[in-house]
Amino acid sequence: MESEAAFRSYLEWALEVFGIEADETECAVMSGVWSVYEPAIAELREADLSAVDPEPDADLSRAPR
Amino acid sequence: MIAALDLALREQAAGVASGELDPAELLDACLERIEERNPDLNAIVATFPEESRRMLAEAPDGPLRGVPVLIKDEWPLPWRAQTFGAPPEHLNAKAGESGPYRALRDAGAVIAGVANMHELGSSSTGNTSFYGAAHNPWDLERCPGGSSSGPAAAVAGGIVSGAVGADGLGSIRYPAAYCGLTGLKTTFGRSAMQGHHLAANTETIVSGPLCRDAADCRLLGSVLIGEEQHAGDARVRASATRLMDGLRIGVIRDPYWSDCAPGVLAACEAALESLRAEVGGEVIEVELPGDRLHIPAALLVAQSEDAAELTPQRLNALSPELGVINRGLIKLRALLPTSLTARAFLVRAHARRALAELFERIDVLAWPTVPAVAPQLAEPTIEIPSGISTADAGNARQGVIANLTGVPGVSVPVGLDAGMPVGLQLLGPWGSDARLLDAAEALERATDREFVELRPAAVA
Repeated sequence: MESEAAFRSYLEWALEVFGIEADETECAVMSGVWSVYEPAIAELREADLSAVDPEPDADLSRAPR
Repeated sequence: MIAALDLALREQAAGVASGELDPAELLDACLERIEERNPDLNAIVATFPEESRRMLAEAPDGPLRGVPVLIKDEWPLPWRAQTFGAPPEHLNAKAGESGPYRALRDAGAVIAGVANMHELGSSSTGNTSFYGAAHNPWDLERCPGGSSSGPAAAVAGGIVSGAVGADGLGSIRYPAAYCGLTGLKTTFGRSAMQGHHLAANTETIVSGPLCRDAADCRLLGSVLIGEEQHAGDARVRASATRLMDGLRIGVIRDPYWSDCAPGVLAACEAALESLRAEVGGEVIEVELPGDRLHIPAALLVAQSEDAAELTPQRLNALSPELGVINRGLIKLRALLPTSLTARAFLVRAHARRALAELFERIDVLAWPTVPAVAPQLAEPTIEIPSGISTADAGNARQGVIANLTGVPGVSVPVGLDAGMPVGLQLLGPWGSDARLLDAAEALERATDREFVELRPAAVA
């Protein structure tokens, strides 16, 4: 619930800052989707990726070099 | 001639080539069947008999000469712009020659119609479209899968024997599983994509075939890829069979197997054992470190592909006819911090290296294509051991790795659960598309083709 309130607060701020209009139903959709994927996103945000070398110019048609 | 529509794609092609089938009659029969079955299935959103007949009249002597097929509403045709399952003004695309159109035309195929899709390709269910949802021929109240909902519903519904779909985050494999078909997600970059509105930016979306079995996928896939995929001659087939000997099948039990509905798990376990026995192979338990991050990473990488389009001006002018879920989703995407996307690309780099290492020890990875059979259109949720979840969340876990990393994947029908089809997914290393189809054919042999021959009662 705290997380949902925090997201709602972020949403109101971000919509205003970026000048994006959204009605109540669209905001409810955003909150609903966020609640589904927020745990995974949080895991991504907190994951230790410091040892991962980026793959610049990755060619997705082939195995990594 | 109506019965000829029930032949395999390759049999239709052979019949036309030998003169046993009249392609004009075949096209007429296909159009007749669309009129008969599409009101229930809503698989097709546009037909154009005049252009189809012109394609037939001008068809070169290619591998699909005179054979009717469908193309997903994701590419333009010279006479129709794609709408991506959305109100036409959303994409505002133009008609033109796309890569898949050229590939089909040059193969002599006849495009009989444009197939429905989930609006903007944003779900694995197919329950939302500007044209109304497509329906699963196995149960009209259930989802056909998405986003290639129309191609799957049409092939399973016996309207055509092959259709071109697109797979950005599993969008060929999920509907293949839900509708009891074989669907190939090609290695990234190999199959025709030109004309897709994201073709220049995407590193996740591919075109690919949805057919009733692997041999038909090989034929239509070859056309889309532009090269033979072990087609035809006995020497190549024998070679392919040898390649399957001693197949090393990797399985990652948790969560890809363990968190599936019991009926799905049982069918896939039985298929896995049948495949192992058929090829004298071995099942090897493996792990893929970091795989929990694949879903957010894949979603973020995919959403970054048209992020430049997400300007406030555009977002504030979204068509009110666009579904409310997509209006919310698009606006949410615009608000995601770019720092997360940068991390997603790091996860992709890690996933690709981990998968490459894994494919040094195994030939294919196998797990259920979707964790539960097609849910209700009205409420696309599933019940699996971890609880009740949206079908999208469960499906994405099983499917996105192929798009995140670029590897090919195929879904093969392997059973029924409560009367609805179950699919087993096989993933292989980059460029192993043909070998995956060899494995799919081995699986068909192992199950005496029982599940690729099954038809929904409504069209049997």
